[in-house]
Amino acid sequence: MALLQISEPGQTTAPHQHKLAVGIDLGTTNSLVASLKSGLAEIIADENGQHLLPSVVQFQAKNDKGYQTEVGYYAQQNAAEDPMNTIVSVKRYMGRGLEDIKKHSIYNFVTEDDSVVPRIRTVAGDVSAVEVSAEILKTLKQRAIEALGGELTGAVITVPAYFDDAQRQATKDAAKLAGLKVLRLINEPTAAAVAYGLDTGSEGIHVIYDLGGGTFDISILKLTKGIFEVLSTAGDSALGGDDLDHAITDWIMAEAQINEPEAALLRRILDAARQAKEALSQQDSTTISISLAKEKIWQAELSRQQFEKLIKPLIRKTLLPCRRALRDAGIETDDIQDVVMVGGSTRIPLVRQMVGEFFSTEPLVDLDPDKVVAIGAARQADVLVGNKTDEDMLLLDVTPLSLGLETMGGLAEKVIHRNTTIPVARAQDFTTFKDGQTAMAIHVVQGERELISDCRSLARFELRGIPPMVAGAARIRVTFQIDADGLLSVSAREEASGVESSIQVKPSYGLSDVEIETMLKDSFSYAQDDIDARKLREEQVEASRVVEALNAALEEDGEKLLSTEERTEIRQAIDELVEIAKENNQRAIKLKIEAVDKVTAEFAQRRMDASINKALAGQSVDDIR
Amino acid sequence: MSNNLINSTADNYFSMLGLAVSFDVDKTTLSHNYHEIQKTIHPDNFANATDLERRLSVQKTAQINDALETLKNPLRRSIYLLSLYGIELNDNDTSIDPSFLMEQMELRENLSEVASKEDPLGELDDILDDVNARIKRAINDLSDLFKKLLFDNEKDESNEQLLKEVKAQTLKMQFLNRLQEECLNKEEDLADQL
Repeated sequence: MALLQISEPGQTTAPHQHKLAVGIDLGTTNSLVASLKSGLAEIIADENGQHLLPSVVQFQAKNDKGYQTEVGYYAQQNAAEDPMNTIVSVKRYMGRGLEDIKKHSIYNFVTEDDSVVPRIRTVAGDVSAVEVSAEILKTLKQRAIEALGGELTGAVITVPAYFDDAQRQATKDAAKLAGLKVLRLINEPTAAAVAYGLDTGSEGIHVIYDLGGGTFDISILKLTKGIFEVLSTAGDSALGGDDLDHAITDWIMAEAQINEPEAALLRRILDAARQAKEALSQQDSTTISISLAKEKIWQAELSRQQFEKLIKPLIRKTLLPCRRALRDAGIETDDIQDVVMVGGSTRIPLVRQMVGEFFSTEPLVDLDPDKVVAIGAARQADVLVGNKTDEDMLLLDVTPLSLGLETMGGLAEKVIHRNTTIPVARAQDFTTFKDGQTAMAIHVVQGERELISDCRSLARFELRGIPPMVAGAARIRVTFQIDADGLLSVSAREEASGVESSIQVKPSYGLSDVEIETMLKDSFSYAQDDIDARKLREEQVEASRVVEALNAALEEDGEKLLSTEERTEIRQAIDELVEIAKENNQRAIKLKIEAVDKVTAEFAQRRMDASINKALAGQSVDDIR
Repeated sequence: MSNNLINSTADNYFSMLGLAVSFDVDKTTLSHNYHEIQKTIHPDNFANATDLERRLSVQKTAQINDALETLKNPLRRSIYLLSLYGIELNDNDTSIDPSFLMEQMELRENLSEVASKEDPLGELDDILDDVNARIKRAINDLSDLFKKLLFDNEKDESNEQLLKEVKAQTLKMQFLNRLQEECLNKEEDLADQL
């Protein structure tokens, strides 16, 4: 790596300053934040030394200090007393519509006319799952800032590998609300593999079995010299420890003859069920006691044998995705080096036993299944902010679900198949079927089934501004791109005339940009903040990033890849940007960055091509023109 | 490569991944080259770069990923090679011999009856083994044909004929691949019902 020369006076570039970055495991039951401390990834504890932050948020009524929220242990303790305002397992509601989430939920969901996102009614107003998650992220962010002693450059946030586009987008929105810069969303099993792989340095094929509080993932990875290549992934984004609790809850209600309990009682039963589950990982039997109304207490004994009978169908349900992942990866159980257990629910002996039998190998449980995901995310965050340049590590992940388009007769035509390595882009051509047609609708779905109705609707796109032609003459090329975060974007272009069609997106789930902007304005952390001032700051940061990156690029490749005139032109553009960034005009800075982009596009392209050639030629060739 | 048709296509998936244009692909070299390229252009290398570079990196990486997917899969590889010769496959092609189509119909019929059998999954495994064996043979046949095609390109007439054969063989591969996919879907359906 060439050292960056600081050529501009007054320019604030300190290339080798250690940047603060964190990894965040935003879990269904518990959340964690980790960072690297002198090369070792560590979970950041709260002031009481607690590593886990229960993913529980209590919204309190307005008092003289305004609205207050309580996050973590204190909120968890209040859950039974104040069940309707204390949100647990909010991750299950991320990116979901009302129909998906009503079951087993005690909350009072409401929908607003102009939004597709359901809200939970609390004393502090109606809140979406994204806002609840943002509260958890804010708490973790604050914890990290205090422990590390400075503002964070960015965060890597983990999501279940089987999360669909809407769920990923919701997670990213929550981070935005919490004021976190997301360096990357990475899949939980991949993060676990990073933590494991770097600790054991083992090459070969690894299976990550990740059964968390609310989600199940299976990922099969191939590890070669620091490259983590996901071969396949499968799972169930609505199956986890919570469902085991519900199985016990159903048993308790049947035994105690409780029908339709009120919210507070249901909360107590759910808590008792969770405690019983945890106890039965250690003991052969446990006593469950629940205080009913009027000081009556119900008590019963639950044996491990009975418990296992209750949960066995659910654990068996996890083996189907395992089968599918093996098939998709094109491997047999003999090819597997080891099976790594991740997620709190893998503490259950029956889970370990059944997974061991399925893969005919003793699963690995060396690392704390609660912490391993955050550890892996922290390592990746450190690499992404550029603290580690000596270490070769690269994650090549896949998209978990196929992306399809609605065709005639309500069928889904697959455009991108599941387990395709991301980023991926696919173009599809459409034509008009009427003379003079200027608009067209495209319905995008995610899922494996043939019928549109069996897949998850992602969004409806409306293409506008198609030049009027006779039917069938227009050729509209629509490009679907899934980026490294697993998020979809769509662009369209009429090929015959070269007209860029405008696209209107109606997401089937998720918050609109307008809603996010309103939430940002309303959000507590920005209450005293001027939105415009924040935007200006962000633009200035972006400008200095552009200047820094371009100076580094010129230093490295300027002589090799550019003529003298081209170099002069780029230098001049950089100088102008530096000047404009000093003034407090956000719009002007934005325009200048766009202008600089135009001037340097060719240079960037040449650099990219040169590095590909260099990679192919091996280390021996260092001069490529 | 000796074929001038292919030489005219400067930026093809093979050259992108540092390979010679050929149906037979060395998997080790392919995956090694792919990894080396990804190490330099993957978006993870551009987390702190400008928006422009980030966009470019996503596009390039997607292109390389597409090249890899194409070259890894024998059917897609064959279709791609044909496209370099200017030949596109279409579903309504009638150049497949009737005996092959009859065979396909029989196999499909067997597949549709699997669910009513005593051991559906076992029965399905047998069909799948059979289909996989056929695919393996089809790949070998394609490889032989492509070898003749690429090295025997002096006589244009015979090349025309060979290309026709490659196309027919590729169409057969497509049928077999679809059948394999249906078998796997069936397996999932059966497993879901267990």
